[in-house]
Amino acid sequence: MSRTAHARWTGLVAVAAIVAGACGNGGPTSDAGGAAGGTGSGTLRVSGSTTVNPVAADAAEVLRAKGMRITVDSQGGSAGGLAQLGAGQVEIAMSSKEVSDADKARFPDVDFVSTEIGQDAVGVILRREVADGGVTVLDKAQLQALFEGRVANWKELGGPDLAVFVYDKEPGRGTREVLDKYLYGKDVKAPPPPQSDNYAIVGGNEETRAKLESTPGSVGPLSTSFISGHPKLAALEVDGVAPTPATVKDGSYPMSRPLFLVTDGPPAGAAEKFIDYVLSAEGQKLVNRHGYLNRADLGLA
Amino acid sequence: MPVGTGLAAAAAGAALAALVAFLVIGVRSGPVDWAALVTSSVWDPARQHFGATAMLWGTVAVAVVALSLAAPLGWAAAIAIVELAPRRWRGVLRGGAELLAVVPSIVYGLIGIAYLRPFVANLAGVPGGDSLLAAGLVLAVMVLPTIVAVSADALEAVPAGHREAAAACGLTRTEVIRSAVLPSARRGMGAAALLALARALGETIAVFLLVGRADGRFPSSVGDVTQRLVRPGQTLTTKLNGPESVLAGTAGAHWAALCAIGLVLLAGVALLTVAGQRRAGRSDDGGAVAAAPGRRLALRRGAGRVERVGGAAPARVGRDRVLRVLLGAALGANLLLVAAVVLAVVGPAGAALHPSFWWSPSVGSSGGGIRDQLAGTVLLVAVAGAIAAPVGLGLGLVVAEYAGPRTARWLRSLTLTLGGVPSILLGLWGYWLFATRLGWGKSWLTGSIVLAMVVIPPITVSVAAALGALPAERREAALGLGLRRAQLVRSVLVPQAVPGLVTGLLLGLARAAGETAPLLFTAAVFSGAPTVPAGVRNAPVASLPTHIFTLAQDSAEPAARQAAWGAALALIVVATLLVLAAVPARRRLGARAA
Repeated sequence: MSRTAHARWTGLVAVAAIVAGACGNGGPTSDAGGAAGGTGSGTLRVSGSTTVNPVAADAAEVLRAKGMRITVDSQGGSAGGLAQLGAGQVEIAMSSKEVSDADKARFPDVDFVSTEIGQDAVGVILRREVADGGVTVLDKAQLQALFEGRVANWKELGGPDLAVFVYDKEPGRGTREVLDKYLYGKDVKAPPPPQSDNYAIVGGNEETRAKLESTPGSVGPLSTSFISGHPKLAALEVDGVAPTPATVKDGSYPMSRPLFLVTDGPPAGAAEKFIDYVLSAEGQKLVNRHGYLNRADLGLA
Repeated sequence: MPVGTGLAAAAAGAALAALVAFLVIGVRSGPVDWAALVTSSVWDPARQHFGATAMLWGTVAVAVVALSLAAPLGWAAAIAIVELAPRRWRGVLRGGAELLAVVPSIVYGLIGIAYLRPFVANLAGVPGGDSLLAAGLVLAVMVLPTIVAVSADALEAVPAGHREAAAACGLTRTEVIRSAVLPSARRGMGAAALLALARALGETIAVFLLVGRADGRFPSSVGDVTQRLVRPGQTLTTKLNGPESVLAGTAGAHWAALCAIGLVLLAGVALLTVAGQRRAGRSDDGGAVAAAPGRRLALRRGAGRVERVGGAAPARVGRDRVLRVLLGAALGANLLLVAAVVLAVVGPAGAALHPSFWWSPSVGSSGGGIRDQLAGTVLLVAVAGAIAAPVGLGLGLVVAEYAGPRTARWLRSLTLTLGGVPSILLGLWGYWLFATRLGWGKSWLTGSIVLAMVVIPPITVSVAAALGALPAERREAALGLGLRRAQLVRSVLVPQAVPGLVTGLLLGLARAAGETAPLLFTAAVFSGAPTVPAGVRNAPVASLPTHIFTLAQDSAEPAARQAAWGAALALIVVATLLVLAAVPARRRLGARAA
């Protein structure tokens, strides 16, 4: 019988400890944020593009030190962020593409307001050995052939005798949409992924860079800011224009894109503070630090 | 039936009903072309065409790879442990082989990224090595402990008399196993494979990290199968875990197609789980009688051989020796795998050896420590336990005490089905119901509720087992004293159930601590969550498994890898502590049963 009693106490203590632990860790307290215009429990939620993410993450770190509560997440890329904004799950969507008519049609009640924080170039990034072997400039038709899996060897494009391996971004990523828009125009849907074996799909920018760096003969779309300091990778000239600050600024590089922080209605409250900080001189330095052009570079500020 | 117990049972029933209802509602929210879903290989959300043969193929492929490796190895290791190893080593060897089950699937994913992807890349010359094969290989390791444990249970349930009778006929050790032991244990060992298959079909995170992001395609010919195996593809679970679930919204054709995939997955896993458990259950109670004629036959066959080949004993002894070496080698391979997994994690996890890693917050994308992740995981798991303990206990009491035999069997199947539900489906359910419908956004409480669903089944099973072991005299004595049923429950059954509750709770929590898929959409963010969340709505936390997931997926930087391994070691420590804490209660259960 004493054994049973002992067992009972052990069990009760275990359960009690767990319950106490739960309460001590902040069990259900009052929900302050429900009425405050969807700003949650005073927490500003930011989510979306992995291209914008480094800037937002740095800004959030600075503002957190000043007492703001901010979460930054990058699930699903730009489209994921916009979908979450539309569903009221975040206050700021990071987007590396403009809000499309499809996005607006999906969330008719949401007033998407985009604030441009800088610009970036989507590069067609390939391996240094391919660039050194002679592939430095490609035009639209050649890039279409490349990304539709119709080029098997870099020879066909005047490069070295090396098999081509294409990494495309998964659907919904801002980078992918910029490339598709350039290749197929604004209103044409890109063809489904090619059924070839030298083609794979990647997600975020860091993953893309890691795959490109580890695969000989590979090519993929990636923000050019992500290749600085990575000598194995090079950016192609597209239609004869190299992605440089000057060509992005004057619009001659065809795959430049604005980077946005998107809100539902004009920014207010914590979202406004956050966006104001990113637009401030200090915040704009962060944009530069991650390799993007800031508003001053673009002549916007 | 007391109100509390009834409520608990109702809560568990409602949870499973809600899960099915959510998928059905999802399917009905948009047109689903079922014919296209199971015959077309084109999955193209932009054109609203949803064919899932590529995902079905991927699912079958990884499961077949996993089972074809794990089943023979696991069976052989179980035979070696139960039939060949000295009795006093049995417990240690079983424990050792089952250590693989303590490692959370996210950590297997990490191991796969570090070792199996490069292996496949070299083997087949495929860039990156993202492939169904890599996922199948890692799954083989993950389901191995299930096969060993369930098979060893089945072997141990074979009465010693069978072995003695066969040995008395002059059979060698392996001949005894083949003719006297395996015919009785075959059912249970088959069940082990079924349960492992269910586990393989439902696994999400480890597979997700290894299969790449492309949909892959159905093999065009038999010869194409190997080509497709070494290339990226999707399974049903990884499709649901991908970005599409967030992009699809929670209604419309795309969402409906995803829910349809979920239903197919749930049906398959539930079927296998229930079939496997029924088989396993029958082999150690009713099965012995049913299988008796076959066993007699096998014995006679064995005895006949003794007479026939009596003079050629050395050949039989030689064969016996070879088979024993093979069985021993399988066990050795199993234990080597355990050692390899331990080394793979501990080796690169140097960061976790610094105390500061545990107590400092993470910085930026890969720096700092894991303080908030650890706190988040402890919070999620503790609250999940607080929710699951009463519900699991109540359900266990209903199964063992209140329900009639038929209802009890039905409830048991329900519990096991809930236990087998792929965790990504739990995650999507939480995302749909709490995050979206109730407008909680990402909330630690959703995470805890979803994790509680993972913890309830082991508690219920373990409580029902503890109550089943209650000696009839104890109950009779209590009734003889004139106790009413409620008093019987309070003063006899509940004390009897407590060690079962504690065991089930801790083992369930050990699994919950490592769950990743249910948290990604419901509760966790990568950075910025406070150490202790305030409120419920929009109150995300950081957690160890999701932290590892992000680090493992996005980054190739050595610093991020290092941080991921450190967090992986921390997660294993948490899970191991929970499992070890269950040992005393488990031992007490064993002592009482004996």
